[in-house]
Amino acid sequence: MSETAAPALAQKGEITWDQFVLPGLVGMFFLAAWHFAVKFSGSDIFPTPWQVATGLMELAQRGLLLRYIVASLFRVSWGFGLAVLIGVPLGLVLGWFKFAYMALNPFIQILRPISPIAWIPVAILWFGVKDTAPVFLIFLASVFPITVSAMAAVQNMQQVYLRAAQNFGLSGISLFRRVILPAALPQIITGVRIALGVAWLVVVAAEMIAVNSGLGYLIIDARNAGKRYDLVVAGMVMIGLIGLVLDLLVRRLERFDEVRWGYGQR
Amino acid sequence: MKLSRSLIVYSLSWMALITALHGTLNLHWFENAKIGEAQAAKFGVGFLPVTCHLTCPVTDFINKNMTGQSFFKPIRFSGWPELKEMFIGRPNEMPASFILAPMAIALREQGVKIKIVYLGHRDGSAVMVHKDSGIYKTTDLRGKRIAVPGRYANQRMIVYRELKKAGMTLDDVTLLEMPPPDMPAALLSGAVDAITSGEPFMGQTELDGYGRVLFQAKDVWPGFISCVLAVSEDAIRDHRAEIQRLVNGIAASGKWVDQSMDHRMEAAEFVSKNYYNQNPRLLSFVLSKPPDRVTYTRLAPLRADFEEIERLGKETGMLSGAAHFEDYVDDSFAAEANLQPASTFEDRK
Repeated sequence: MSETAAPALAQKGEITWDQFVLPGLVGMFFLAAWHFAVKFSGSDIFPTPWQVATGLMELAQRGLLLRYIVASLFRVSWGFGLAVLIGVPLGLVLGWFKFAYMALNPFIQILRPISPIAWIPVAILWFGVKDTAPVFLIFLASVFPITVSAMAAVQNMQQVYLRAAQNFGLSGISLFRRVILPAALPQIITGVRIALGVAWLVVVAAEMIAVNSGLGYLIIDARNAGKRYDLVVAGMVMIGLIGLVLDLLVRRLERFDEVRWGYGQR
Repeated sequence: MKLSRSLIVYSLSWMALITALHGTLNLHWFENAKIGEAQAAKFGVGFLPVTCHLTCPVTDFINKNMTGQSFFKPIRFSGWPELKEMFIGRPNEMPASFILAPMAIALREQGVKIKIVYLGHRDGSAVMVHKDSGIYKTTDLRGKRIAVPGRYANQRMIVYRELKKAGMTLDDVTLLEMPPPDMPAALLSGAVDAITSGEPFMGQTELDGYGRVLFQAKDVWPGFISCVLAVSEDAIRDHRAEIQRLVNGIAASGKWVDQSMDHRMEAAEFVSKNYYNQNPRLLSFVLSKPPDRVTYTRLAPLRADFEEIERLGKETGMLSGAAHFEDYVDDSFAAEANLQPASTFEDRK
């Protein structure tokens, strides 16, 4: 299988013209539609793409754009990093030990659907208005998808791997390190990728707390600043673009041999 | 394992890089290290970017420029709930805050140990309608949707008071709670028929050419109070001198702002740029058109004013009436503050 999959994936890694031309065309169509929609509706409040671009330039010139991007990336990195450090081992344990699953799973399922916005008061009471509060919210948003995917990965592992391993006399740590973890890894990586998207998604909500930097803060601050909806949309655009870059980076993880085998032909 | 080694190396490098960048660009670690421990010991004072809280940044700015540094740390919030949670949840970090007067009274009724020590401003609110609407007097509001800032906003009381004068009740209109920054767009789009909140969001609709004043707070309710300076009782007991210094600073900078139109324009400029991130034109407009749209003198808390708020609060169902003037006001700081001369600050441009 690996011999046929390898060339297919290698081809996917190459940069081809249609990777840029097709999204470029869609993007141009979208920008034009946006521009003319604003012009025809005669809206004085909603900005055109050009106004958003000038807004971004203004932010860049004032040095705020870099500062805000760094602040948001900092909070997401720590919140998400802690979520991976805690979520993956927790998920593996819950997936492997049935009693741990029975004891903890209901609580995970209770906590999982609670929106990070609902946690804002708690975050302020516990952490005040320092960086720890948004980091905590981002951690909460991303730890559950990671835990659940790691748990499911172990639970859904094909029994044949386990039986084979036991036939070879593997047990304990070596069984875990050489069979369970590699078998679960592709599914864990998928969960981590989804969780990174979620972590980046909640950055606006997390920065509603009185921090004074970040792309989420930019949006909230621009709403306070009178008629600066160009900056609101500029914040949205930056969050979207960085989200794209983050997803491309996580996708690179799928190229490692340890992960690639789990994805089959496609 | 190739994957795990790459992951560890890249993740650790990334965390170190992003933390160092954030520390340098946003947390100013290296500058703070020079300033030293004094920075950390400062107490926080909460405020929102509205004109009702203008004296907070003005006092901070004047202190910084006259003495090199301020003795408190202004903490800017974007909305009431977050400000209130920090104020009542972490009084050690933020023992004082500018807050809506009925909200402070309601918190006291609910057993939160805070006291109103000074006012933030007088007047500085309005009810706005769309310039093309047919609403010219209070009775025209019948059946209309009016946006108010929140459950504990005094603007709710203005609306109630005016409706009552016109022989109407709150049942004759629909009140919608909405964050003030969203109000101008809601008025323009026709989502609501009238809006009311503190400035500068009302002035913004006038400046942008679609809002018309139905009435100004100063004309229908002279001396109107929306926001006050409230302090935790623990801070009053343990840090009396610092609180007195804060109240004195607010009084002196309020007098400075009201001293001349030049001072108002200076304040509009440096507050917009350094604290509110707003276009200075907006603050200049609301601080000058008309000049008494919002005022920053006569800020001692007076019994008659609060008893009226209490009474209106009970009539509108906002307050239970469980707390009275002596429960929620500590006016012992006001006497010394009132004697303060205006700040002798001239912006060295």
